[in-house]
Amino acid sequence: MTDLLVIAPELVLSVMALSVIVVARHLRRARAAAIWVVVAGAAAAFSAVWLDGPASGFGGTVAADGAARFFKVLFAATLAVAALLSVRHLDAERVPPGEFYALLLLSSTGMMLAASAAELLVLYLGLELMTLCSYVLVGVTRDRPISNEAAIKYFLLGSFASALLLYGIGITYGVTGTTEFVAIASAISERGLGQQPLLLVGVALVAGGLAFKIVAVPFHAWAPDAYQGASAPVAAFLAAGSKAAGLAALIRVGLVAFAPEQRIWSAILLGLAVLSMIVGSLLAVSQTNVKRLLAYSSIAHAGYALLGLVPGTPDGASATMTYSLVYAFMILGAFGIVTGLGQRGEELEGYHGLAAVAPVRAALMFLFLLSLTGIPPTAGFVAKFAVILSAVRAGYVALAVLAVLCTAVSAFFYLRVAVLMYMHMTESPGPAPARFPVGVSAAVVVAASVIILGGLFPDSFTPWTVPP
Amino acid sequence: MSEYLGIAVFFVMAAAVVATFVALASVLGPKKPSPTKLEPFECGEVPFALPAGRLAVKFYLTAILFILFDVELVFLFPWAVVYRGLGAWGLGEMVIFLGVLMVGFYYAWDNGALDWQ
Repeated sequence: MTDLLVIAPELVLSVMALSVIVVARHLRRARAAAIWVVVAGAAAAFSAVWLDGPASGFGGTVAADGAARFFKVLFAATLAVAALLSVRHLDAERVPPGEFYALLLLSSTGMMLAASAAELLVLYLGLELMTLCSYVLVGVTRDRPISNEAAIKYFLLGSFASALLLYGIGITYGVTGTTEFVAIASAISERGLGQQPLLLVGVALVAGGLAFKIVAVPFHAWAPDAYQGASAPVAAFLAAGSKAAGLAALIRVGLVAFAPEQRIWSAILLGLAVLSMIVGSLLAVSQTNVKRLLAYSSIAHAGYALLGLVPGTPDGASATMTYSLVYAFMILGAFGIVTGLGQRGEELEGYHGLAAVAPVRAALMFLFLLSLTGIPPTAGFVAKFAVILSAVRAGYVALAVLAVLCTAVSAFFYLRVAVLMYMHMTESPGPAPARFPVGVSAAVVVAASVIILGGLFPDSFTPWTVPP
Repeated sequence: MSEYLGIAVFFVMAAAVVATFVALASVLGPKKPSPTKLEPFECGEVPFALPAGRLAVKFYLTAILFILFDVELVFLFPWAVVYRGLGAWGLGEMVIFLGVLMVGFYYAWDNGALDWQ
């Protein structure tokens, strides 16, 4: 029975998801369902933090350590904020709320399971639950062809990445004879399998499969289309949650299972990080659609987040955990503004003179953009500083310089939005956008306060970011 | 070889039951022959058609519902084999699993997936 305490947050979310499915046909309005989803998210976070269970369960396949708790709280928060963002949006797009929130809950369940998996197959199960629900969430606005196209592209590339991951798991099992992280590490170091070419193939395939989830180049092709085609709250949920789940998996696999393979693991992550930072920053420059812009920025941020994992140290992993939390809130905030502005928020044109007609919203967007760029006193600066510092400490100075250069490039396209909002006030700014729905306002304020508090008190996350 | 006796009995019984039902149906059943009934039958589909033909989407819905019960059976079989060793805890787990599947089935039913029109 105590095993169930280990997956209590997952149980809370899945029971809520099943209840929502049962009453789905009778849910006409999104608001009631959204409130229940927020309550479920809060209960899941509560049970993750305060429920005292064993350190691992189900025969050591599911861990409940500090890293698992941290990511579970992060996913619960992402779920709650995404639910708040989508309330009015669902009614406007005529999306059935029951199905939407059930999928959102199940996707978060998968993320939590992936973050606490101590075994490759449980990890795969969690990631697959997350991704299968995400495919449907991307295509949930069925009336819009662009949404269908995005879902199909995401599904095809996603299944390919899942196959890579599964193949890597199979090869690793074939070489080491086990799928448990700790046992893999001891099998590699005791039996001297470090130079086994087949194992290197397995390591590379697992890294590739996980790189798809965090949108690292060259596994990034789905992100711009999926983010553009999905409705803005779904894109926010994908960017914040899916990336954090992939990073959680990379942290645990890299630090525990493939620790004896540190050299090859670091080399792969180094390549992914360099490519992601360069390609993401350069391609974002020419985007005119804000969702695509944020998608390419998400690619670049995958590269920055990987900086902490390249050295393979607990400090670096802790920096990456901070990064995934901060990134989740700044991207949720930015997509929140896009959601609230509706059709106007989708294209860069819509931000012309926004500060004249909606000064508070323009200021909030400016805050999120500053944080995405990594300018103090926002949390984005703290997080980026931590990952770059961990790379420098491990001797990757050239990598750190490249990260700073890419940040300089990214400042151009982030601040271009700010320039549009503030410097074109004299031209006709158009009519003021409609008031934000209550849910969107609440979500944006929560995200903004996390960004500001994290920037003012840089150490506030460190007690929580315990690497596995 | 004696351990295969049970399997042999099983095959004989299965063949006998099927033969009985087929025989009973052909003797007792009403017979209204028509040209349509002489055509090969494949789940309501025209068995030979060019791929350009259109297809009612409800067949796919039925197929997906079939998978629901298929998956259920895939897990029920190994569970039934080791059931004695699992005890009440195993029974509870299987009831929960079936409950989750039934939620999906109820959802499909509630949304009219079983209405054929």
